[in-house]
Amino acid sequence: MLKLIWRNLLRNKTRTFLTLASVGLALFILTFLGAVLDAMESAQGSSDSRVVVRHAVSLTFQLPEAYEKRLKTVDHVEGVTILNWFGGTYKDQRPENFFPRFGAEPETLFDVFPEYRVGEEQQRAFEADRSGFIAGKSLAEKQGWELGDVITIKGDIYPLDLELTLRGIFEQPDALAQEKQIFFHRRYVEEAMSNPGIVGTYWLKLDSPEHVPAVVKTVEAMYESSAAPVRAETEEAFALSFLEMMGNIRLLFSSIGLAIVISILFITANTMAMAARDRVREVAVLRTLGFQRGQVTTLVLAESLLVGVLGAVIGAAGASGLIGFAAKAAEGFFPALSAMQPTPGMLGLSLFIGLSIGFVSGVFPAWSAARIDIVEGLRKVA
Amino acid sequence: MSQQVIVEVSGLEKTYKKESFEVQVLQGIDLEIHSGEYVALMGPSGSGKSTLLNLLAGIDKPTAGKIVVGGSDMSKLSDSKLARWRHRHIGFIFQFYNLLPVLTAFENVELPLTLTRLSKAKRRQKVETALQVVGLADRMDHYPRQLSGGQEQRVAIARSIVTDPALLLADEPTGDLDSESAGEILDLLQQLNEDFGKTIVMVTHDPGAARRAKRLVRLEKGLLVGAEAA
Repeated sequence: MLKLIWRNLLRNKTRTFLTLASVGLALFILTFLGAVLDAMESAQGSSDSRVVVRHAVSLTFQLPEAYEKRLKTVDHVEGVTILNWFGGTYKDQRPENFFPRFGAEPETLFDVFPEYRVGEEQQRAFEADRSGFIAGKSLAEKQGWELGDVITIKGDIYPLDLELTLRGIFEQPDALAQEKQIFFHRRYVEEAMSNPGIVGTYWLKLDSPEHVPAVVKTVEAMYESSAAPVRAETEEAFALSFLEMMGNIRLLFSSIGLAIVISILFITANTMAMAARDRVREVAVLRTLGFQRGQVTTLVLAESLLVGVLGAVIGAAGASGLIGFAAKAAEGFFPALSAMQPTPGMLGLSLFIGLSIGFVSGVFPAWSAARIDIVEGLRKVA
Repeated sequence: MSQQVIVEVSGLEKTYKKESFEVQVLQGIDLEIHSGEYVALMGPSGSGKSTLLNLLAGIDKPTAGKIVVGGSDMSKLSDSKLARWRHRHIGFIFQFYNLLPVLTAFENVELPLTLTRLSKAKRRQKVETALQVVGLADRMDHYPRQLSGGQEQRVAIARSIVTDPALLLADEPTGDLDSESAGEILDLLQQLNEDFGKTIVMVTHDPGAARRAKRLVRLEKGLLVGAEAA
């Protein structure tokens, strides 16, 4: 039986190859998109005990810096720091020169982000130099920066160019994507902009994750009736909502994946139906020899399942290879994706989808083959 | 010739429905075939020869009447029991050989044995014996496309005898062959009947082929019009 299934699969090599390629390509795309999504969602290195406070309307609206003092007084808040997205351009627009750049408060940054490890001396040097900056280790290595190097960031959102001197290199081995960003003094930008006193996001460090809901509620209530109401959320929720500024990416990716899988399902079903139609006479011969309907069903369905599984293996293997390559390539222009990797869950899902495609494509041809009229089948011209 | 009745057909009718028309192919056939007989079924096209053969093989159902083969009333068998019965008791030889092109001669002959619980070694032994009987032991690894028509038909005959069935049914077994190959196939069938005691029912248009049989049964318009010694 197994021999017959395998030989039938290889009977029309072009058709089998094209079908396998279709299933493989679909699952390749699906696996790859899944890895991209997982990497984007997990690359934030979020902490359970941090709360992000931003304008209630949108990230593009800013908050008064006067909020900082009051936020520090909220119960269970151990530290508050500020991060302002600067944007800008380093050297040119090439992807390898893109990395996140934040205006920060050097005095409080490491209180709120204790996982960023930097030498005490370098930290003090950074705090002391208004035009200093610190960079993640991965980024510094990639750019070939050394302490004391001066870089220029050309402003785009802000109409000014920053001349910054590297004063420290921090490490965050648990979330390598976070080692691909820089922090500089937000006061540098403030002064250049005549001190407008605006803040993009406040980051609060709490004494315990269990106090997050209470702090969120308190903070939102504090500014509910103000001119600049706030939205407070966990760091993880903030990261996801940031991604969602580009649209509901998960929904988008899922829709693309589903559309591809459904298209491939139709193609595979058509192929299996054609293959079964071509073999009506052979099925009639098998039935004449004494094969049961169930055995004929098994023959056709197993072939279809084999197509689905082989396609899934090809697709998942191809995606695994590309994921490694893409993760390396993305280091420069999309650090979040550099943590991309194929997970067992993702590969398992591909296999499951491949099996499902095989089953759904093969079940009707198998059912039809088992129910052919033997005499009519024998009359079919081979 | 043994007197044991192996096939007993009584009042057999077969009607096909095509859209609103009904075509009565067989009209009350009564026939007995004894063990060890070699019967040729002759008649013009549309006389019902192949239909009768299909009914004897249990791959078609009669509209009325009774068919008892080897003591089994086929009208009482369910689809799955009928498939098992075919496997055990019937060897079918087709006009166009109907070998599976993706399998070698050996694998084609082995196919019916894969439905049994025989060990691989035992299966190999039986397949080799069957191929030796038909004179193709040296071609067992060849695919059908690598064989001549006559050789393909001999492989098909080996497939039909490998389970040692009680009854061999052949539907125009020489209809697609040149005269030399046809002669070889008829020799083989005769050998199976005379040397191995196989009961054979053969449908044929060829009077020369029919003369090889021990008995000739004629059908016309679905009726049995004569039975005679060949």
